Amino acid sequence: MNALVSSFLRNSLWPNRISRNSLSTALSPAVQRGRGGLALRWVALVYVGLLVVLPLTALVAKGLGVGTHGIVQALSAPAASAALWLTVWTAALMSVINAVMGTFTAWLLVRHDFPGRRIVSALVDLPLAIPTLVAGMMIVVLLGPQSAIGGYCSRHGFDIVFATPGIVLALLFINLPMVVRAVEPVMRELDPAEQEAAHTLGASDVRIYFQILLPPLLPAIATGTLQSFARALAEFGSIVVVSGNIPFRTLTSPVYIFGEVESGASDTAAAVSLVLLALASALLLAVRGLERFLAAYKRT
Amino acid sequence: MALSIGIAGCSLVACERIKAHHENGAASSQSSTVKASKIRTLTIGAYTTPREPYGKAILPAFQRLWQEKHGETLKFEESYLGSGAQSRAIVGGFEADVAALSLEADIKKIAQAGLITNDWKANPTKGMVTRSVVVIGVRPGNPKAIHDWTDLTKPGYKVLTPNVRTSGGAMWNILAIWGAAQRGKAGVAAGDANAAVTLLSGIIKNVQIMDKGARESMLTFENGIGDAIITYENEVLVAKKSGKPYEYVVPTATILIENPVAVVDKYAARHQAQEVAVAFVEFLATKPAQEAFANFGYRPVNPEVQKATSGQFPPINDLFTIADLGGWDEVGKTVFGPAGAYEKATAAAGKSK
Repeated sequence: MNALVSSFLRNSLWPNRISRNSLSTALSPAVQRGRGGLALRWVALVYVGLLVVLPLTALVAKGLGVGTHGIVQALSAPAASAALWLTVWTAALMSVINAVMGTFTAWLLVRHDFPGRRIVSALVDLPLAIPTLVAGMMIVVLLGPQSAIGGYCSRHGFDIVFATPGIVLALLFINLPMVVRAVEPVMRELDPAEQEAAHTLGASDVRIYFQILLPPLLPAIATGTLQSFARALAEFGSIVVVSGNIPFRTLTSPVYIFGEVESGASDTAAAVSLVLLALASALLLAVRGLERFLAAYKRT
Repeated sequence: MALSIGIAGCSLVACERIKAHHENGAASSQSSTVKASKIRTLTIGAYTTPREPYGKAILPAFQRLWQEKHGETLKFEESYLGSGAQSRAIVGGFEADVAALSLEADIKKIAQAGLITNDWKANPTKGMVTRSVVVIGVRPGNPKAIHDWTDLTKPGYKVLTPNVRTSGGAMWNILAIWGAAQRGKAGVAAGDANAAVTLLSGIIKNVQIMDKGARESMLTFENGIGDAIITYENEVLVAKKSGKPYEYVVPTATILIENPVAVVDKYAARHQAQEVAVAFVEFLATKPAQEAFANFGYRPVNPEVQKATSGQFPPINDLFTIADLGGWDEVGKTVFGPAGAYEKATAAAGKSK
């Protein structure tokens, strides 16, 4: 978020500076120099400021107002740190699965033409359109203890819903498009000739995969993965439905924060929010860096 | 699924808030020109479980009464949320004229915010309108043979109780278990604080879902999840009334729940609804309202109705009150405080899993 704002500031306030940002290079020089253009830029700047920077500042101020001692105290509550840990590890596990499966899915969509490819492509975007709460309910209906599958697993001592597997599943569902859509355009630009050349020169499939195919895709995979990780840290709607929300077991940070707000402990809520915010900001900064790397890679 | 209803409830409140605001605004501008407005609105912020007695019996009855007495049409804006959440909502600006909550501590929060300035406990029932007890709801025929608190600690048993952060019912539940243990009526020695925490953590270990409020928890149970639900007696009775085949067992020792109602006079004054709000709260203690509550599974506070309905409710071996546990301020520290029994028990339950 911070990176976004700072790049916006850089690119919009000093129009004469040569910018690498694709958005500003796409604009015609007339628009860039004109007074109208400047006004437009300020409108957008104020818009982003009001929408993002202001509430963000309020939260940070509230969080920091608690004082370092207060923040440490809020986080040292065992239930809070347990929730934070659960949130981070479920998000990390989901990210790994998402990175692998998302890349495969992108591969399927780019390199293979099969009947129904367009439908599969549309399905990938569907999780973005479905309210995450509904996504959670679908998982409960399909895999809850009352369903055939969930009931069978539950009888064999493996609970899916109201337990951690349900959390990971919900996170996977809502983040399905993230890696696929990040990898797809890069994959489309890869020249199959390189692969064919490697093949002709006698390289094994495994070697082709790791030395020819994967390296150019890595930044895009990482970008998509980090974005899904950041999104997973904040997920509430689906988790509150699929998880049992029991402290130390199935209570994630966003749901913990909700409980703190509801019980009037807004200081603790702000402190924990601050940690999530810092984590997400760091991740988005990393995404920004990767995108630059990606852009630099493309030019070479 | 239960939670989705909780969240739908939230958005409903938001709508009601806006609606109430508009209507009250309209009413007040009218009353300055025409002396008495024909339509009055009373906004009620309640906890989740009395939805049926209020909606189906008490509000319509009071509406008729008010129409007869004053010739005015009375309209209600109702909101039902977990007691703690409702209390926060009212403090945060949900302008309810009457607060009907699960526990006194939640009314106190509103009073501390300066919104209740009247002495709401100065009446024969000490501000309370209903009673209930904490019981254990079980599946038809009690297949898991659950009879007392200790049975809920058995390995593999799945138990439901709501989240204490949002639900007053959840606090009553925890207090019932903790109090029973402290009194030596739940398989552990009286006054043994560590043993009480162990019992509590044994039960919490078996808790599968902590919903937002008592009603959401009951809906989860109705969806077939869990072997037992710790809840208000009236919740099971109201479910039975609607044809659901549930049974409940009364533990040897359990807590007497008393639910308060108060006029939020700061808001009521703003809406010129003080008179109707006071009349409404008085009405709740009268025979017709108390009979309606009893009809929906609540134990009445009115002595006359108490006598008439005593056959409906099973007797309790050892019934204790919040005062026996030292009052809300005391349990706020010893049970629900940062180093309280509940926090210790959840931590222990988390570690042993």
